[in-house]
Amino acid sequence: MRDEERPWSERFRPRTLREVVDNREALRRFLAWVRSWRGGPPRRRSAFLYGPPGVGKTSAVEAVANDLGFDLIEVNASDYRTAKRIETILGRASSQIRTLFGRRRMILFDEVEGLSGQEDRGGVGAILSLIRGTASPIVLVATGSPEMWEDRLSPLMRVSELIEFRPIPFQDVVERLREICREVGVEAEEEALELIAERSNGDLRSAVNDLEAVARGRGTLTWEDVYWLGDRDRKGEISEVLRGIFSSKSFDEAREVLRESPIRYEELLEWIYENLPYFYDDPQDLAEAMDALSRADIYERRARETQEYRLLKYMFDAMVAEVALARKGSRGRGLIQEVRRALLSLGLPPSDLLIREGREGVIVKPTRWMGKDWQPLNSLLRELGGRWIREEGCWVVPYFRPPGRIRHLRRSWWSRRRLEDLARRVGEKCHVSTRTALREFIPYIRAIFKENRRLGVSIARWLELEEDTIRWLMEG
Amino acid sequence: MSIELWTEKYRPRTLDEVVDHEEVISRLKRFVEERNIPHLLFVGPAGVGKTTTILALAQDLYGPGYMNFILELNASDERGINVIREKVKFFARTAPMRSEVPFKILIMDEADSLTAAAQHALRRTMERYTKTCRFCLIGNYSENIIEPIQSRCSVFRFGHLSERDIRERIRYIANCEGVKLLESGLDAILEASRGDLRKAINILQTAAASKGGYVDEDVVFSVLGRVSPKEVRQMLLLSLEGRFLEAREALRRLLLEEGLAGEDILRQIYSQVLRLQIPESWKVRLSEMIGEIDYRLTQGARPEIQLGALLAKLALAGEEMRR
Ligand SMILES: Nc1ncnc2c1ncn2[C@@H]1O[C@H](COP(=O)(O)OP(=O)(O)O)[C@@H](O)[C@H]1O
Ligand SMILES: [Mg+2]
Repeated sequence: MRDEERPWSERFRPRTLREVVDNREALRRFLAWVRSWRGGPPRRRSAFLYGPPGVGKTSAVEAVANDLGFDLIEVNASDYRTAKRIETILGRASSQIRTLFGRRRMILFDEVEGLSGQEDRGGVGAILSLIRGTASPIVLVATGSPEMWEDRLSPLMRVSELIEFRPIPFQDVVERLREICREVGVEAEEEALELIAERSNGDLRSAVNDLEAVARGRGTLTWEDVYWLGDRDRKGEISEVLRGIFSSKSFDEAREVLRESPIRYEELLEWIYENLPYFYDDPQDLAEAMDALSRADIYERRARETQEYRLLKYMFDAMVAEVALARKGSRGRGLIQEVRRALLSLGLPPSDLLIREGREGVIVKPTRWMGKDWQPLNSLLRELGGRWIREEGCWVVPYFRPPGRIRHLRRSWWSRRRLEDLARRVGEKCHVSTRTALREFIPYIRAIFKENRRLGVSIARWLELEEDTIRWLMEG
Repeated sequence: MSIELWTEKYRPRTLDEVVDHEEVISRLKRFVEERNIPHLLFVGPAGVGKTTTILALAQDLYGPGYMNFILELNASDERGINVIREKVKFFARTAPMRSEVPFKILIMDEADSLTAAAQHALRRTMERYTKTCRFCLIGNYSENIIEPIQSRCSVFRFGHLSERDIRERIRYIANCEGVKLLESGLDAILEASRGDLRKAINILQTAAASKGGYVDEDVVFSVLGRVSPKEVRQMLLLSLEGRFLEAREALRRLLLEEGLAGEDILRQIYSQVLRLQIPESWKVRLSEMIGEIDYRLTQGARPEIQLGALLAKLALAGEEMRR
């Protein structure tokens, strides 16, 4: 296959350790462990790499094998269901140190979290005895959070060098996406990449996949493209559903709307929560509807935790039917009022702008050359989810706002990172958890920085904060 | 480098220096004399010296090299019981070297944030290593600690510190630091810290850092204004005024930019409500609303929606109050 044809997550997979993004500490420890095999088998003959998906665990193993000249023997999950199969596949490989060509071997069991239940007892046991007798390094890789599998796998964890991989930090995901765009020749808005990164939750593989899904074969990429992930139909569908909910008059009518909705219910809950206040301007209605959403959130968690998905219907009733019925005295007509209010706040004469309701959303069209007024207007309308359509010379603000959390996260990632650093250091020095640090120490430290910078800096030095964090504190 | 935060600088280094808790301290001292301790469970409110006490005990027991014989874990920061178990095992496997005490001490702070399942696993680990390692679990409420752990531990209850003791300690620190602390300032600190000495010390240090050169009531109030997130108060007022959208923006800032936990925001809302100038009967009603959401927070998955629902209820209450 030509390089261009391969999926991006393959094409941009690291080949050497230098190309692996982040998790330096884990990589360092893993490398040290592999090196420790030089003088014969070390005390721990297996390494257990674990962490969330898509953070480079398998890539790291492959890269290290590559860099240090090991032949990597990958055993597939389906192959080690039973002890027998493992023995036939690996029996010889593990007891011979070198291959025919004199290269050393490394054995990789990927996705060991798949070992489950009774029939795999043999699996875990066989891997254990393999580890005891092996002459080659054995690497086990498990994905997902430890609570999911640690009961089953603890015999393996106990004998292994435990190496934890963490989610890839937001900014590094963005950076990596940017590199890929440069390489494939896509011109992407910064916001677009940030949105992909935010959604990935530190899973670099899924971020690269998402990027490919929206950007392959294109020259440019915008925030909107990403938001709808290449599926513009959904945008119309969500609007339909929301319109339906906010205008239903009866329980059945509202439930009917949902029955036809193609949207994931978790997502729909967030959309309703976001847009509700623009339609429910009577405090009584709003309080009732929000109360229904709060219960919907609880019902959903119950369904998930008990795995009794029939319980979800109560969530639907609450978030759709109850919300619809709560609307009594409200007059709100959605974002159009908000757009008017926002424009007013800029102090422009009303005749400067033509506002009307279009098919896709509120249309705001300047009636004159805006000059330096364009910029503030643009950022205001963007805040409301709108965007400038160059060909038409107007802004379109969709009738419904995407869940605001996403926009907020984008703005706040830098301060969140600084806070994390600060909270961790305070936690270590003052014998408290990061949560307690955030609550009980950090407000005081910030206040001290404002009042008395010299003292602030000496506290910061004592805490051994990163320079970036100190600068952030100084800026208030 | 000298210690810059006063809570650390004035953390007692031996059991003798610990303020208050006479009963607890005297029992613990006996353990130190006998060079033997059981597993311990410390429960009590924040900032009254639970962590301090176990660290002081360790220093009394092992002497200056005590750091080699203890391991501090904070349950709310550790991820997964197996990771904990692994750390415990690595630490507890061997008896301490060059010490006449035959065991080490593992401190598990905020242990009540562990799930029941994790606590059961922890209990097994405790048992396995009892010979070489004693556990000291710390938490706010003993109710959150499973019975089998409680029954294996000597339980020590730490109450709120008495007003007199906090007063004395704050005065002592102010003296050592050359802070001009006026009586009205001390009163204000006491009022605000409600038996939590850590908070009292933090307020004192922040107040002393401001320009005036003395600490009186006004300085303390201005510190409190700056640290008790203005935003929470603002958010509360916005929603009582019926400005829900703006209140929700403020909520997002607190959750996402300040990184505060939903429960912590709620606690601050609650204490702000107590300070509102509104009829008592309304305070009761608001408290009830907050209490309901506090419970729902533990049941739901999205803190923002739960707190958002509270803001909407407050907006309604605000309107009714105005009528
Ligand atoms: N009983 C006490 N005696 C002396 N100092 C105390 C006492 N309680 C709290 N402090 C001060 O408050 C800080 C926090 O106390 P800590 O032991 O961490 O509280 P917690 O009970 O939350 O574990 C300590 O560093 C110390 O400065
Ligand atoms: Mg503590």
